[in-house]
Amino acid sequence: MSPSRREKLSVMISTGHLGTAPSGLESFMAAIDTRPDYLVADAGSADPGPVYLGENIELGHFVREELELFLLESRKRNIPLIIGSAGDSGSNAGVDNFVRQIQEIAAEHQIPKFKLGYFYSELSGDFLAQELSTGNAIAGLGQYQDLTAEDALSATRIVAVAGNGPFLKLLESGADVIVAGRCGDANFTAAPCIHAGFPPALAFHMGKMIECASLVAEPFMGKEAVIGTITHEDIQITPYHPDQRCTVASAAAHSMYERETPFFEHTAEGTLDMRDCSYEQASERVCLITGARFEPWDVPTVKLEGVRKLGERYLGIAAVRDPHVIHSIDAAIEWSRSAIAKRFPGEPYQLHYHVFGRDGILKEREPLRGRDPHEVAVVVETLHPDDAMAAKITDLAVRMFFLARIPGVKGTSGASATTKLPMKYLPGYEWSINHAMQVRDEMELFPTTITEAGV
Amino acid sequence: MSKLYDLTLAIRSKNAGVDQVTFDIIFRDRDTYEKAVASNAITEQSICDLFGVSREAISHFVCFDVANAIKFTLYRTLPNGSPGDWDILGCQQYGPLVELEIPD
Repeated sequence: MSPSRREKLSVMISTGHLGTAPSGLESFMAAIDTRPDYLVADAGSADPGPVYLGENIELGHFVREELELFLLESRKRNIPLIIGSAGDSGSNAGVDNFVRQIQEIAAEHQIPKFKLGYFYSELSGDFLAQELSTGNAIAGLGQYQDLTAEDALSATRIVAVAGNGPFLKLLESGADVIVAGRCGDANFTAAPCIHAGFPPALAFHMGKMIECASLVAEPFMGKEAVIGTITHEDIQITPYHPDQRCTVASAAAHSMYERETPFFEHTAEGTLDMRDCSYEQASERVCLITGARFEPWDVPTVKLEGVRKLGERYLGIAAVRDPHVIHSIDAAIEWSRSAIAKRFPGEPYQLHYHVFGRDGILKEREPLRGRDPHEVAVVVETLHPDDAMAAKITDLAVRMFFLARIPGVKGTSGASATTKLPMKYLPGYEWSINHAMQVRDEMELFPTTITEAGV
Repeated sequence: MSKLYDLTLAIRSKNAGVDQVTFDIIFRDRDTYEKAVASNAITEQSICDLFGVSREAISHFVCFDVANAIKFTLYRTLPNGSPGDWDILGCQQYGPLVELEIPD
């Protein structure tokens, strides 16, 4: 053992999605007062759907407050702050927006000058089409086929999911605060651990275990602080809400949370293998975890996320109480659908009918969809490239439920209670790119910048 | 018979990427978990029957001993947040599991 070898490193996190709700202040202060080596936060995800990347919009209403808390308290204690996947989607606009807010907060609070590093994760459809033209296949994940040039060129916006590379570069440049574009959920924790010389397997596993903050502990609480501590042999997870414990059960349960399998996790640099992990209770509230392995890829492989716009979107609601109309609700939907087909032939619209009360959530996977409920609401979702047309089609599709002609129905004053005007909703997008690409050099995709903030 | 609700600490579903939804059934203790696994009430076939899907829709099925959990992952019919998908996080797909009957 070299005398300079660092024995342990602690990473604090209080939110698994920065900005959606405020961090619990009491546990945040209790945790940061222990002077962890890093404060980290995840600010993004593909979970909320494709529209955020498509429209460059954010869903959280507490971004400014969270950035203010994290920046003020970390700078006061000289603790580096790392924020992953800025602005929900990790787009360049999301990064720029976070960087600007951090600079504003630093100026407003007269924070002494510090080094602010950031990196971008967007790449262009042209770049991917170029890769394809040189014979590099870009493999589809899950049910997705290999990428085509058309997929690449028709995408509205594309991000690559960064691994450790850009974080390590910024840490080596002495960044005090890092704002990341789209990145792996484990990487904003794993990178500083690896930067400090800890084993990648434990670093990635700790990153995976703490990325959702207090969700790793029990009882269930969101937005409370936890600290992960890495050594050369193990990791430990400590919750800071006084009523939470990190138990063998809660840690093991979290290791499989929102992942296809509990045993493997892919990152840009390789695969985390958790098959032989063991969990033990280190103390009443602290869980100790060992046994992760890490198998690096031969060639770094980054995940790509891309979206394509499908049209402007409106919603309308047709609600039904008459049991005979409900029994014939599929006929009423068909009546509405065929009325639109007849009136707008050849128009590039999409119509979706969500029958809440019957199968609005599970659709064809609903086991009880054959049972008549006593009340249903049909939400009509319409897309069309033209905003006015989307509104017009939605309006007629909803009105057709009011006007539905169902044999045997006694009501003659309207077959449904409907919204009077269609409601404008976020435009419709789809994930058109969900792929993995081998890269020569990860750093080519994630340009880094170091600047200053504060006074 | 007991309902899954009465045997578990948690029953949940959540996106696993944009193209899959994963289901975790976490039993209240080792004994309950082992009996539930041995009952063969939750298998790839029973999941297909409950959700009306084919075997190809199941991308992963595992009895995860360390967490006293049965976990399975289904491919989505639409990527999350596509027009026509209302359960954008996949967080309500577990509903039909709650009242599933497990033989004692």
